[in-house]
Amino acid sequence: MMMAKTGTDIQIAICGSAGDGTIASGDIMKRAAAAMGFNVIAFDVYPPEIRGFGKCISRIRISTKQTYSLKQESDVLISLNDGHAIPHVGEVRDFGAVIYDDSLGSQVAEGGHISAHISPAQIPYGFGVRQISELATNSARSRNIVVLGYAAGLFNLPSDGFHEIIRSKFATKAQIVIDSNIKAFDAGLQVGQAVFKLDDVEVGSDSKETNGAEAVMMTGNGAVARGFMEAGIESYFGYPITPATSIMERLAVDMPPTGGKFLQTEDEISAIAATIGAGFTGSRAATATSGPGLALMAEMVGLGVMAEVPVVIAVSQRGGPSTGLPTKTEQSDLNLAVFGGSGDAQRIVLAPTNVEGCYRCAGMAFDIAETYQTPVILLIDLYLSNRYETVIPAKENTFAPKPRKKVSVKKGEAFKRFEMTENFISPRAVPGEAGLMHTATGLEHNELGRPNDAVHMDMSIKRHEKLKSAVHFPGLNVSKRFGDKGPVDVGILGWGSTFGEILETMYQAQAEGISCSAMKVVMLSPLPLQSLQEFFADCREILVPELNYEGQFANLICGALEKPVTRLSRATGTPMEVQEILAEVRRLSGQDPAQIQIAGAEGAQT
Amino acid sequence: MNKRVKPVYLEDKLEEIRADGHQEYRSKSLPTWCPGCGYFSMAEGLTFALKRLGIDYKDVVVVSGIGCASRFPFFVNTYGFHTLHGRVLPVATGVKIGNDDLTVVAVGGDGDAFAIGGGHIPHAARRNVNLTYLVFDNGIYGLTKGQTSPTSALGFKTSSTPYENGDVPLNPLMMLLSYGASWVGQAYAGHQHHLADMITQAMSHQGFSFLRILSPCVTFDKTNNTYSNLNMRVRDLPEDHDSSNVLAAMAEASRNDHPALGLYFKEDRPTLGQVMDATIQRSLSSHGDKGPGQTKAK
Ligand SMILES: Cc1ncc(C[n+]2csc(CCOP(=O)(O)OP(=O)(O)O)c2C)c(N)n1
Ligand code: SF4
Ligand SMILES: [Mg+2]
Repeated sequence: MMMAKTGTDIQIAICGSAGDGTIASGDIMKRAAAAMGFNVIAFDVYPPEIRGFGKCISRIRISTKQTYSLKQESDVLISLNDGHAIPHVGEVRDFGAVIYDDSLGSQVAEGGHISAHISPAQIPYGFGVRQISELATNSARSRNIVVLGYAAGLFNLPSDGFHEIIRSKFATKAQIVIDSNIKAFDAGLQVGQAVFKLDDVEVGSDSKETNGAEAVMMTGNGAVARGFMEAGIESYFGYPITPATSIMERLAVDMPPTGGKFLQTEDEISAIAATIGAGFTGSRAATATSGPGLALMAEMVGLGVMAEVPVVIAVSQRGGPSTGLPTKTEQSDLNLAVFGGSGDAQRIVLAPTNVEGCYRCAGMAFDIAETYQTPVILLIDLYLSNRYETVIPAKENTFAPKPRKKVSVKKGEAFKRFEMTENFISPRAVPGEAGLMHTATGLEHNELGRPNDAVHMDMSIKRHEKLKSAVHFPGLNVSKRFGDKGPVDVGILGWGSTFGEILETMYQAQAEGISCSAMKVVMLSPLPLQSLQEFFADCREILVPELNYEGQFANLICGALEKPVTRLSRATGTPMEVQEILAEVRRLSGQDPAQIQIAGAEGAQT
Repeated sequence: MNKRVKPVYLEDKLEEIRADGHQEYRSKSLPTWCPGCGYFSMAEGLTFALKRLGIDYKDVVVVSGIGCASRFPFFVNTYGFHTLHGRVLPVATGVKIGNDDLTVVAVGGDGDAFAIGGGHIPHAARRNVNLTYLVFDNGIYGLTKGQTSPTSALGFKTSSTPYENGDVPLNPLMMLLSYGASWVGQAYAGHQHHLADMITQAMSHQGFSFLRILSPCVTFDKTNNTYSNLNMRVRDLPEDHDSSNVLAAMAEASRNDHPALGLYFKEDRPTLGQVMDATIQRSLSSHGDKGPGQTKAK
């Protein structure tokens, strides 16, 4: 096995049009890097259209250290289409590489060629991509694999790992396809090995193996599906919607062999309705959607709360409102997830901050839903759904269902399905159990489940109080503080996918000598008030970066704690950038800018 | 079958409930329906059917939407789920998928079924979910106190159509037949024994059975679907009706003026549960596509 060189931290951006195989090329790169034991974070951006020649860009950060987000600057840009890649030349750092095609056939009008846009500080690596592709495979279609080989050569990466990934990626294709892709890769590799090397971005073998054999690379959506599977999901109902669809597609493949029931319903209302119906029978049931689907589900979430039915709803946000920005990321469905629906309908909302968190939260969501007998919403966003990270799955499956406590009633006594117990959680029975027949309803009801308006206040107390202990759910970190302990100048408070950039920022700020720490809030409902209060007490200034216009998380926090925060809210459809958070942190720290020793563009050493 | 029916009074009903032998199917809640409402016959019909079929009531889930008809689960001593307006079928589908051993009865009114819930019917029907759907069609919104419904007659004056209803009513039987429901029948609340028999037949069917029950709302409809009007209008399906012939069924269903009672159409085909089991079998014998989203690093 290839050992990752310690101290490696490079980011490669591959840019081309949809027809160039850009995403496929990036996919091979990140899988090969993960197989070599690197920590990988990757995120692809592609056009909403299914076909056509829109711009695709695949960014892959390959590192031996723990990383939390993509870097703002890439070390390498590979152009498969100069028209698309030219605007991205600027994101390559000084002394970084730009790899492009300088075949004769690719010469175009002045200014149309990428070489004219490379700054003197950047290093041009032009070579005959098209010619080499044609020589190796008789076709220009392997250009994406040729550049991959070239990059591997440039970084001295061994070819075996790539060969293996290429074979598995094209496993369903004819042998000739596999052979010609490997030929194309090797041809690129040869050229890449021969060129002069970048000094400080080299990757190579070293004595220390990093996270090793168990690492699995997955997307946030893949992690959600995997968590569901390990939790023994029995029923899934869903309706396709970007960016949640791949959760459904994964489960469509994986559930039937385990006896799971999978159904694509006629809309999101029926998806959540059937999920609640299945949950009512004791089946581990889930659905997944995005904001528009959750809006349709809102009434049913209320039924789940009222009738106390455990279900899990994964929601991957995209830009909104309405159809909004289907292929862009945003964190603007917090209000809907936490409050959506009629009445006082508190539910549990979990917002993991990275791919590993998606896996863990999805795995535990059923247990939580069953413990509290209520819908659990797993709130992520496109940036988390689609990004790749290396995850080390649990060795033992801790997510598997635990047997439900059997209840019984004395003969002649009616079963109090909604009994007011000490912790406000009632005994639960499911259809098929003798002597425990009851009717669940969305009408306000008494302990027996019979419609009754007079008990509304008592039952409202029950439904809210029973959730309070959820913040202490065993094995779940509903909030976590990073960085300096005790009083600090600046505290960065974050949630969801943005927290990766927040952590990177926090470590950079620390390296600059700013006293700061960061806290992630994973449970958005109910809020972990005590940890929040402690954090607020420790921080002179609180900064809340998030990807929406209104500052929905800041509003939630301010509503709960009645303390002022500084908002960094923006809705551009793109992930937050470390530099913009850092600028705010510097400002809030109140330190004399001249005194701050700016760390290199590389970022802090952690 | 067209014998005159006396109006039904709550007191008499209670007497009867106490006297009859199948009281164990009833819950302790007393029906909240208006005295004389056609819905009493549904409680009667369903308890009769459960007894006849010998189904243990712990294995029965009655799922309903919202409306007068949908109040039903509270009055029967099985498991029940009183859900949301229009959503009875998807919830009932989930219940059946969640536990295929359960006997699932879905109940709702005409507004619940054909207005707000209209989008779900074709899909439950075409998937052949193994459950019985009882639609109590009174041609009006009872619970919200008398507005027009998708099956209200043309010219009907209701609180939302004070100058007469101008919308052509839907023909529920035609809809269900064209949606591919595998069992389609019609009954009338005024013909209680026939109704009980039809519910029994519907519940014995393996697949999606749809029974439309014409049922007077004595409080908000004094002119259209009254007992006396319906008593005169309903007829039996012809003795020689071929219930395996969907076109013959449609021809009968199109005669809305004289609604015929009985079994219109029945066909045997795999239920959703069986289709899912077959999918599970196929998935075990094929390796399946790896699918997107997740790759093993090693
Ligand atoms: C989403 C929603 N919209 C409207 C209502 C109000 N509502 C309750 S029952 C009903 C109509 C009932 O008519 P029908 O389904 O025919 O049942 P019936 O009362 O006649 O038995 C309406 C509009 C509701 N409960 N929920
Ligand atoms: S309002 Fe009409 S439908 Fe409702 S209970 Fe009374 S009579 Fe029956
Ligand atoms: Mg009605």
